[in-house]
Amino acid sequence: MKNTFLARHPSVIVFILILAVITLLATVFSEAYGTGLLPTNYVKILGKTLCLCLIAIAMDLVWGYCGILSLGHFAFFGLGGYMIGMWLMYARTEDIVIASMTNAALPPTPDEVRDAIGTQIFGVVGGSDVPLVWTFAHSLPIQLALVVLVPGLLALVFGWLAFRSRVTGVYLSILTQAMTLALSLYLFQNDSGLRGNNGLSGLQNIPGLTDMPQSVLSIWFMWGSALALGVGYVFAAWMVSGKFGNVVKAIRDDEARIRFLGYSVEAYKLFIFTITAVIAAIAGAIYYPQAGIVNPAEIAPIASIYLAVWVAIGGRGRLYGAVIGAALVSLLSSWFTGGQAPDVPLGFYTIKWVDWWQVLLGLSFVLVTLFAPRGIAGMFDRLVRKDAA
Amino acid sequence: MSALLEVLGVSVTFDGFRAINDLSFSIQPAELRAIIGPNGAGKTTFMDIVTGKTRPDNGRVQFGTPPVDLLRLRESDIAKIGIGRKFQRPTVFEAQTVFDNLSMALKNERSPFAALGYKAGRTDIERIEEIASEIGLAEQLHRLSGELSHGQKQWLEIGMLLAQDPQLLLVDEPAAGMTLGEREHTTDLLVRTAKTRAVIVVEHDMEFVRRLDCPVTVLHEGSVLAEGSLDHVTANPEVIEVYLGR
Repeated sequence: MKNTFLARHPSVIVFILILAVITLLATVFSEAYGTGLLPTNYVKILGKTLCLCLIAIAMDLVWGYCGILSLGHFAFFGLGGYMIGMWLMYARTEDIVIASMTNAALPPTPDEVRDAIGTQIFGVVGGSDVPLVWTFAHSLPIQLALVVLVPGLLALVFGWLAFRSRVTGVYLSILTQAMTLALSLYLFQNDSGLRGNNGLSGLQNIPGLTDMPQSVLSIWFMWGSALALGVGYVFAAWMVSGKFGNVVKAIRDDEARIRFLGYSVEAYKLFIFTITAVIAAIAGAIYYPQAGIVNPAEIAPIASIYLAVWVAIGGRGRLYGAVIGAALVSLLSSWFTGGQAPDVPLGFYTIKWVDWWQVLLGLSFVLVTLFAPRGIAGMFDRLVRKDAA
Repeated sequence: MSALLEVLGVSVTFDGFRAINDLSFSIQPAELRAIIGPNGAGKTTFMDIVTGKTRPDNGRVQFGTPPVDLLRLRESDIAKIGIGRKFQRPTVFEAQTVFDNLSMALKNERSPFAALGYKAGRTDIERIEEIASEIGLAEQLHRLSGELSHGQKQWLEIGMLLAQDPQLLLVDEPAAGMTLGEREHTTDLLVRTAKTRAVIVVEHDMEFVRRLDCPVTVLHEGSVLAEGSLDHVTANPEVIEVYLGR
């Protein structure tokens, strides 16, 4: 069945090939496995960008295909990061605590270890106990399950409430913004049990792999990100290729009409909202170990708006468009705001890109909306068609 | 024989305006019925009530045997138990092919999971081809429906209705914007369809109604003004005054 699906969608194969070539090239030039031309830092940026491409695919599914402009999907991304971050931080602190206690006269009791971990992790927010939400933080399998379950459940409950009441259009967008804002404000509090504005840090250190240098880890994570993106792309392409995809597009184009054909629009919306939330969470869980830190600022409302901008610039309703948009805009963004872009002296005024990048991004968003409503992928499509004609 | 659809004493008010006023109506399982009436007579609101889009203030709407209370069901459930609707303006999914439009309408399990696992089987494909040739779109199956002519879109929508395999079809102005030949074809299709199921046609065009050769219900100010053959109702002085006389 998979063979026939891929045969009918050659663009999916092209995408996988390009993804494989990029990852291979990065490995060949890496410090760990290759010539060392590509610094570890850049490998990490590449890996993180692949994760952003994955959440852009989720956004494209929910917005580009189903017409739900969710401005809250970064909340799921961040939650995924938090869930994996809890294990990373707990298990690593546990290793450190046990190592520091080995010289003590008596072997430490489990309670002593737990207290020491609590002080280590939560001292920064004035606590010393391990909060209830960290109950399963010692277990990697459980935290991995929570990466999927917590954001999935949040999306399910939120979506059920919103779609059941037939909240659509801009009202739904506002509601999703409120959701991500509320979550971020909650996490900012010191007694949320997730270290307030400090967030979870040191996530780049993988427990049990402390001897492995970052140069090697970064390659492994990049491959992991590429794999997740590849699988996510094929999955998304498969989802929208059949009848399910047709119904979802029909919901986008004329919700009332498809309802009169006997389809429960609410069920479909809930399904796609939840499944894209899970995809976003998985992307986040791979992203944050590469970023090293996850904090409540990551899921501020603006992050989800950027996500929509990436997909709009890349081209809605085309999976590769979302990928192009996310990769291009997020890479440009880190180039401009990272201080690498040269300032432009105008004599009377100097354009500093750190400040002006936002203006440039806003301007290009407006231009794309006005002159290329189908985004970069749409322009690409038009070029291809012209060649064919 | 008991009625397929029974509407009893239904009233709807929009912001003080009585769109439907104590309306009662019924139709048999295999019957063709035309509903006529001037603008604002409540024809579209009547369809909205039957399909669940509008909730009436009072009255009863029952469907099938044993009777199901339609007022308790959602739109998608009403569609599922066998009431199909064709809108006044042809509303097909223009970004999708004729085949995909028909395939979505085809009577099948409608849950997201069923749709994800759906593969068009031989019987489904044959049924789609059969409907397509019936509505004269056999050659256009793989064209985008947005590229079709106005009349072809109307037919596609009728085809989608047939694919749903409903017991009751509500057809709003099927002949609007059609050429004479297309109209004749549409009439044939509706008459043939009404041999096995109930069809309610809402129409402005008297000539078209005459060709359908079926009982007519005249609506006026939200209630039934007259019922009977076309000749019978057009001879009714009240009907002449409110509708035909203008």
